[in-house]
Amino acid sequence: MTESITDSDQDRDEATILLVDDNPQNLKVLYETLKDRGYRLLIANEGEKALNLAERHQPEVILLDIMMPGMDGYEVCRHLKASSATADSAVVFLSALDDVDAKVKGFGLGGADYIAKPFQAQEVIARVTTHARVIQLERQLQARNRQLEGDQTRILNAINEGIYGLDPDGNIVFANPAAATMAATTADDLVGRNFFRLHFPEPAPGDPPLPAQSTCRQGVAEHQRNLKMRRPNGETFAVEYRATPKPEGADRYGAVVVFRDISVELENEQALEEARALVEEQRDQLAHASRLSTMGEMAAGFAHEVNQPLTAISNYVRVALRLMASEDIDRALAEQTLQKIEAQSHRASEVIRRLRRFVKKPASGKEIIQLSGLLEETRRFAEVDSRVNQVEVLLAVDDDVPDVLADPIQVQQVALNLIRNAMESTRSAASSEPVRVLANRTESGFVRVEVKDHGLGLPDDAEERLFLPFFTTKEEGMGIGLALCRTLMQAQGGEIGFERPDDGGALFWFSLPLADGE
Amino acid sequence: MNETQPMVYVVEDDEAVRDSLELLLKSEGHGVQTFATANAFLDEYSDEMAGCIVLDIRMPGMDGMELQRRLNERNAILPIIFVTGHGDVPLAVDAMKGGAVDFIQKPYKEEALLEKIHTALEQDREQRATLGQKQEIQRRLETLTPRENEIMDRMIAGQANKVIAIELDISQRTVEIHRSRVMHKMGTHSLAHLVRMVMSVKDRIDAS
Repeated sequence: MTESITDSDQDRDEATILLVDDNPQNLKVLYETLKDRGYRLLIANEGEKALNLAERHQPEVILLDIMMPGMDGYEVCRHLKASSATADSAVVFLSALDDVDAKVKGFGLGGADYIAKPFQAQEVIARVTTHARVIQLERQLQARNRQLEGDQTRILNAINEGIYGLDPDGNIVFANPAAATMAATTADDLVGRNFFRLHFPEPAPGDPPLPAQSTCRQGVAEHQRNLKMRRPNGETFAVEYRATPKPEGADRYGAVVVFRDISVELENEQALEEARALVEEQRDQLAHASRLSTMGEMAAGFAHEVNQPLTAISNYVRVALRLMASEDIDRALAEQTLQKIEAQSHRASEVIRRLRRFVKKPASGKEIIQLSGLLEETRRFAEVDSRVNQVEVLLAVDDDVPDVLADPIQVQQVALNLIRNAMESTRSAASSEPVRVLANRTESGFVRVEVKDHGLGLPDDAEERLFLPFFTTKEEGMGIGLALCRTLMQAQGGEIGFERPDDGGALFWFSLPLADGE
Repeated sequence: MNETQPMVYVVEDDEAVRDSLELLLKSEGHGVQTFATANAFLDEYSDEMAGCIVLDIRMPGMDGMELQRRLNERNAILPIIFVTGHGDVPLAVDAMKGGAVDFIQKPYKEEALLEKIHTALEQDREQRATLGQKQEIQRRLETLTPRENEIMDRMIAGQANKVIAIELDISQRTVEIHRSRVMHKMGTHSLAHLVRMVMSVKDRIDAS
């Protein structure tokens, strides 16, 4: 231990030794022996003074003569041990009495050691050094413990979560202020009550165990959210809790239950969820409205698609009637004609079915889609327009394109939108190049669908504005299409974008996540 | 003139419509030839083809309107019945301005289509008969000498022989001889008939 010069350091490092003896000669010898050894030395020649000094200075070691007039050493020791301020001091008895009874009595009163007179300087020094050091360490340890306890208490008090300590039967042995606040009572009121009976209704037979019950019974940690906890006043509140086992002997567990009131959190979550649902609903409605609008634009084409088979049916029926009217019915031809009628009626209903599916509301939700089939269906859809636009649509889907996970109607809507844009642009540019639709797998676990045309190309500021609502390059356009496409793609977990191919025109693409989530 | 048997030429891209129409028209006793594209028809087309065309107005590739323009360029007289879809009225109007005889909207009643085809075939027959006469008149006109032509124009304008003689500074007798040759070459004895004949081909003369 290094010598220090500051008072505070001295206070901390320098042990205090109280020398108590009625014989001035003895005191002098002791003093001489211990001085200059880094101790603060105090001297008392009678019991009262010794107690007084000890109370004020709390010495680490007290060398205490037994045989003193008035209050003897035993009495002084009894008083020292009875006072909390001095109880931890090491009392080393000094006496000429060298008998066992005296020693036993001294130890019985809490004495730490015994030095016989006449003193051996080395012995005195050695014993004092040892005891001073032990007491100093003990005191440091206690100070540290007190500090830790203080910290712990402050933390427990400051924590927003309610904390209960439970014994194996679920009785509350500890409750922090937050727990009391949430229970709308005081911590003192909580301690001693039973956690299960206090906060939960009596479970019916067959009910799952109450919260923390498994923790107390089997030592299993628990975590649960959105659970109702009852206050002593009967109100309930939503909580999230964690129960951690606290071993209490063999196969016995208490629990530490940490819980927090999540009522506000739940309200916020619900509001957020409602807002999200509203946005989704509006998106779906907009998508639906857009599909209806698209169908409106394509009405003439659809009428044509339905009228073709109807016209054929009408013709075949006339033929069949003529066949029936003739004397010698050609049964084979009649049957053939009727089969053709059947095929055409299927064809008409298929157009209607496709149309109905496309305008169905709401969208059917995500499912596993085989893209080649969906894109072929979309191509047929677009073909309705291709009669008007006079633009061919060619489809090339790689054989190894895996299935994707998405809402088929919304994907079809996006694909149709891009294909129709491409056809329109091609027609405006008076080009005879077909619109090409490709699909292939990307390295990043997506399927990328491309729609490429040789039309007018894209404006210079397309990058900034193309996917913004109400931006359009078409005279009759509303500027909803691409903005909606992007929203729909985002809802599928996909992306949408465009490129300017070197050979002119435009290339739009969208990507969709694989169904198997590789 | 060696004209072929009148046929109904069906130009229709939709296979079912084409097939059903072919069966229907055949069952009605018409000669039918079908084409899946306008180009296929154009490749086959010749002036000798008689009958009528049933033409879908909307087809991928060359559409009905374009085929009509091409046929007009070739002075084709085959009557065209356009088959239109719902909402194609403006197109149909253009088609009629381009010389189509009629149009019919899909889906149609077969009677209505058969009726229109009947009318078109009738019209084609008449046109062709008239065209035959006109071509005969044209052929005869081409046998006239320049002097005879000059005299005929004045006859048609109603000038008397005396007036013609004075204006052309020839004898009235010479006018009479030319006049008699014109009537002979044109194969008529009546001035009124001559006037009708010449007037009937006048458009073609002006056009050529």
